[in-house]
Amino acid sequence: MRVSNLSFRYRRGGPWVLSNVDLDFAPGDVTEIVGRNGAGKSTLLRLLAGLLTPLDGTISSRPHVVGYAPERFPTEQPFTVAGYLRHMAGVRRTDPRQVEAWAERLGMDHLLGHRLPDLSKGTAHKVGLAQALLGGPGLLVLDEPFAGLDTATRSELPVIIGEVAERGGLVVVSDHQGDLRGFPGLRRVEVGGTAAREVDPDEVAADPDDPADAGPREALTVLEVTVAASRAGELADRLRREGHMVRTPEAEVAE
Amino acid sequence: MIALTRFRIAAYVRSHRAFQPLIGLLVLLAILYGTPIPAGAELGTMADSAAILIPIFAWAARGLLDNEPDEQRMISITAVGRREAVTGIAAAWIFNAGLAAISFAVLTLRLSARPEVAEVLAGVGLHLIAILAGTTLGALTSRPILGSPATSTLALLLGYLAVLLLSLSGQPWLTVPLMMWMREAHHGELLAHFPALAAWSLLWPLIGLAAYARLRRTRP
Repeated sequence: MRVSNLSFRYRRGGPWVLSNVDLDFAPGDVTEIVGRNGAGKSTLLRLLAGLLTPLDGTISSRPHVVGYAPERFPTEQPFTVAGYLRHMAGVRRTDPRQVEAWAERLGMDHLLGHRLPDLSKGTAHKVGLAQALLGGPGLLVLDEPFAGLDTATRSELPVIIGEVAERGGLVVVSDHQGDLRGFPGLRRVEVGGTAAREVDPDEVAADPDDPADAGPREALTVLEVTVAASRAGELADRLRREGHMVRTPEAEVAE
Repeated sequence: MIALTRFRIAAYVRSHRAFQPLIGLLVLLAILYGTPIPAGAELGTMADSAAILIPIFAWAARGLLDNEPDEQRMISITAVGRREAVTGIAAAWIFNAGLAAISFAVLTLRLSARPEVAEVLAGVGLHLIAILAGTTLGALTSRPILGSPATSTLALLLGYLAVLLLSLSGQPWLTVPLMMWMREAHHGELLAHFPALAAWSLLWPLIGLAAYARLRRTRP
């Protein structure tokens, strides 16, 4: 897939979100999109997924089957998890048995009969991932895929991403929490100031939203927090989103 | 495309929002057909029905399209591409056809005399055009086009009023000629002019749908 001289803004006369962007994606590439809040990461993801049309420039050779998992899965729909995913399997003309397979792999097979509005944030996010994976996407676009996931699924998702890449699929991920850092062969594209450029994966090792990265680094300290076990995962996620490094004792955290 | 159309209709029918235009329709039918339709007024009543139901069809179409969360619409676009907009229109048209069938059934039950086949066909034809006109108006006031619910409601009502007023004016060719439908049907002239009137009436909804498709290119 090739992005050539792409420019985009939401309305005529408005500010350019992206300007003269050139990117190349080879089969099997896994690319992380990084940038500050409001830099245009989600806009770039939507352009790559074909949801937005570039005002200038082109995106060519986009794979035919595109899977897209939004940052927030819309739970306000009158279906059960199984009902929704079976509808999506029908829309994607794929084997409905894949629904059970992905539900089991993402650790939500016991929730297939639950109504979407009753789901927790993490489970809703898994439904969003499952629908994106139905039909074997040639381009998988994931907007903050690790947010709210339990430990087991957080470990499984890079494996799934690796499998999509192994069969020649492209994976583009915006990941504030850095769960893909260390992924073999990971490419990184930094978005900011209407530009999007490929950077060395080690160049932006820290969270680009962390104000500390903008200037001289401050001294670090370790803070110990006591929290109810049931809320530990949620708190850890929130702190990671704010750019802090969090280490959780896995055995003690009830996900 | 069929699966996505079915999904959208299922989502709308299962939500309570589908009852809003249905209840509106039932209230309208109770008012329109409180007394039996006198003999000789069959085609005129069918034309009145088609013209009066357009805002109900627009309300239902807008409700069906807006029932889908924005993120779900994005997911649907990645699944079927730009045909997503077509499935939305198709789903709204099918739902509105159900509303029109209910209306037509009630109308038929209140007839005092049996209408001619040609009159029934013309009445059905006007309802099909009304469904398309209402669906187009609903689509053009749906959330991707008009983000504010207040603006959207106002645009829907004013849009219908504008169609009525323009069709009353000296230049009815500027819109769907609703008043002409009713006038010609009541004066027994509709059947003679029906093909030309139908073609003219279809033109504006088709232009509206083309505009909707164009606007949706930059409003996913």
